[in-house]
Amino acid sequence: MIALVAVLGLVAAACGGDEDPGQDEQTTGAPAENLSGGTLTMAQLADVVSGFDPQKEYYSVTWEYYRCCLLRTLMSYEGVPTEEGGAEIHPDLAAAEPEVSEDELTWTFTIKPGINYAPPFDDVAITANDFVTALKRTANPKANVGGYSFYYSVIEGFDDYANGDADEISGAVAVDDTTLELTLTEPTGDLGYRFAMATTAPIPPLDGAEFGAAQGHDKTYGRFLVASGPYMFEGSEAMDFSVPAKDQAEVAGYVPGRSIVLVRNPSYDPATDGLRPAHPDRIEVTIGGDNDDLYNQVAAGEIDFVVDGAVPPDKIREYQTTPDLQDRMNVYPSDAMRYVSFNLAMPPFDDVHVRKAINWAFDKQGFRQQRGGETTGELAGHIFVNSLQNNLLADYDPYATPNGSGDIEAAQEEMAQSKYDSDGDGVCDDPVCEDILTVTDREDPYPKQSALMQQFLEPLGITLDVKQLERGVMYTRCNDMNSQTALCAGPGWGKDYADGYTFGGPMFDSSGLWPSCCNYQAVGASADQLQEWGYDVAQVPSVDDMVDDCSAATGEERFQCWADFDSNLMEEVVPMVPYLFDNSVDIISANVTNYSFDQFAGLADFGAMAVSGGDAA
Amino acid sequence: MGRYLIRRTLFLILVLFIVSLLTFLIFVKLPAGDPARRAVGRSVTPEQIEAARVAFGLDKPLIVQYARFAKGLVPLPGWFLTEDVYYSYGSFVAVKEEIYRRLPVTITLALGAAVIWLAMGIPIGIISGVRKGSVWDRAGMVFALIGVSMPVFWLGQLLLYLFWFQLGWAPSSGLEIGDSIWTAIAKGEFILPWITLAFTSAAFYARMVRGNLIETMNEDYIRTARAKGLAERRVIYKHGLRGALTPVVTMLGLDIGLLFGGAFITETLFGLPGIGQYAVQAIFVNDFPVVMGVTVLGAMFIAVANLVVDVVYAFLDPRVRYT
Repeated sequence: MIALVAVLGLVAAACGGDEDPGQDEQTTGAPAENLSGGTLTMAQLADVVSGFDPQKEYYSVTWEYYRCCLLRTLMSYEGVPTEEGGAEIHPDLAAAEPEVSEDELTWTFTIKPGINYAPPFDDVAITANDFVTALKRTANPKANVGGYSFYYSVIEGFDDYANGDADEISGAVAVDDTTLELTLTEPTGDLGYRFAMATTAPIPPLDGAEFGAAQGHDKTYGRFLVASGPYMFEGSEAMDFSVPAKDQAEVAGYVPGRSIVLVRNPSYDPATDGLRPAHPDRIEVTIGGDNDDLYNQVAAGEIDFVVDGAVPPDKIREYQTTPDLQDRMNVYPSDAMRYVSFNLAMPPFDDVHVRKAINWAFDKQGFRQQRGGETTGELAGHIFVNSLQNNLLADYDPYATPNGSGDIEAAQEEMAQSKYDSDGDGVCDDPVCEDILTVTDREDPYPKQSALMQQFLEPLGITLDVKQLERGVMYTRCNDMNSQTALCAGPGWGKDYADGYTFGGPMFDSSGLWPSCCNYQAVGASADQLQEWGYDVAQVPSVDDMVDDCSAATGEERFQCWADFDSNLMEEVVPMVPYLFDNSVDIISANVTNYSFDQFAGLADFGAMAVSGGDAA
Repeated sequence: MGRYLIRRTLFLILVLFIVSLLTFLIFVKLPAGDPARRAVGRSVTPEQIEAARVAFGLDKPLIVQYARFAKGLVPLPGWFLTEDVYYSYGSFVAVKEEIYRRLPVTITLALGAAVIWLAMGIPIGIISGVRKGSVWDRAGMVFALIGVSMPVFWLGQLLLYLFWFQLGWAPSSGLEIGDSIWTAIAKGEFILPWITLAFTSAAFYARMVRGNLIETMNEDYIRTARAKGLAERRVIYKHGLRGALTPVVTMLGLDIGLLFGGAFITETLFGLPGIGQYAVQAIFVNDFPVVMGVTVLGAMFIAVANLVVDVVYAFLDPRVRYT
């Protein structure tokens, strides 16, 4: 059934033309009503990160809840894989694509009229000013600790408002109820994507309060969330916003750490939404449990899906090799990349030949094996995941080696050109190559991967001093330039949205240097910064200009720009060894009769999952 | 008695103070990462990090930070686990609210398990002690050896696999959405967690009761009872057991106090939304207010249980005096 609907879906997508996507049916090709109904039962190992507060949540799981179910935005995604258009944005609450002025500094969104919020705001229509309210809350340091301001600083007056220097965001103006005009300080080609993020989802007005219904809920708006999508938290209609915020009772459908229950939003009109199939009548999610046990429950049909688990290797083997189960395993690129980063200010990694030599020597195949083999992802030949560059570098790998297992001979040839190999024999003979400070994640498989790395670096004369740390601590150490960490062996990076900026900006622009995040390579650090952090190296490469150029580009030119940027990084700057483009591996229960992978969040589209027991049964 | 209780209560406060201080120092000193940095996400400016630090009160001197947390431990209305300080750095949910919501689950788990381990451990210990060296004794001690050797996380997995996944006799892990504690008990959702948690303790209690009983049966007053011509059954059950079971009360009080602070592994394994699961989740993400609240709560349960046990002990054993 699933295979059939997937094929039908491809046909439907191919025939879609310029019509509003999803108006028919997404991956299924069947009329939506045939699949709707029933209760989708899911489990989560851990709660969402910030209690469903859209200005705080920086977590792909929550993004999926928002996109599929709870919050509509000006632009949004279809909830399908990249090859079916899942990386593309479409008008959602916007009536059409935004109008962009010739100088690319003014963006005008026209909003679909007559779309109302979920109860208890079911008699309130979404208007342009509600998006301004969301932007204000995003700028408000008390409400937003999720770090989204970064993306909206390009709006004129946003930073002034955030700093308390202005009462309004001058560049965000509700011209009338259906017209939102945004004035930018610099051309920003991906602004549409930024307005597909839930932090910009409209917040209903409330008695003229600055933050509307979120007023007084700086910490916990998520538990008072007013939905605009096809679903809402169960019990939303009982929320009473007429009393002071401190006296309001939280919505019953979300009990932190315990359960999430979504029910249909009676205000939702599917005719206004071409992006969300919203099949189940009800979505129940329990929080907590043991990973292996939860997957046993999926196998037994007690639950339909594990939202945030890791399918155990034995289950992957079982589902791969059992014909009846193969259709119930779904493997898709999750648009995340795993890598080992070099600190370019730390010898011997201040020498590009050493960095290239390690790229040649790197046993990517061995690293992947230790993660669980081929199912876990595709060996990476470059840094940006392919969907961000429209597959322009899909076959590109400047350090390709047989079977991806590394080429020590090529590595030694490269090392021979390094200043740290004085006799040119391909082996580093400088003391800086000994006991190089390396930090990694203490969880499996990173310690094993570090051991493997020690093996294949030994012929190059490089030895490592590996420190295994708790994941959060590892990331902080990698980021903190004062820590003088030379190699960071455990990080991964996923996109925020389907644009190269979400890789290029935070990872390589100097604005991502400590204490900001997440330029672990020191790329773009100034001489003063390097001195302040205690490095002897006074100069490192910078790619800031390239990031700026690509950020301003649009359309095909933008894809090409990020592809050129990527190849430049790989061949000239060489800040890291990218070794894997991660896959998302799901299994679903036999009750699930329709599945679609949402490339935006890198997860299943919860609303697209149909369950037997619905109308289809 | 009154002076004794006052002194012990003051001692309890001192213990809580020390525990809270140590917890705070561990949080400050261990390289667990900056909560403000963790909270603000990845693409942020130094100003945003500083704003989060201010919001969390981490910009204040350490002594002020500790004082804010310490004040929240004072059991006065408006002070105890005050929501201004004791809220999750992740979900922003008040610690007090979470604890109140989760405590019934933990208490149910602890009390149910205690009933099982007493019901299993005491009879096995008595039979082994009374029939020392017999087949029953050996069987009982093999059970005890297996019980104390079996890790809880492994036993739980085994029971789930066997009784839920293979045989379908017991419900799987977790509590069904919307179920009250009583409904969950009625549906048997606590059975496997109870057995898992009780098994090791039952084995331990069996060994303890056996040892105590054997030792007590060699006491002079037992010999005297026998010399007076009392029936052996009466000697064992009226005189022997009383002496043998008194230490069990001590252990039981402390064990239950400990479990009220959270059965970390069992709750996590079985997806039970109790205090232990809450603590584990908080520790993984360095959510300090939660860790502090749960740690001190656990310490308080143990300290109070200790006090109660000492008081009860004096009633059970007339030789004990309050000093």
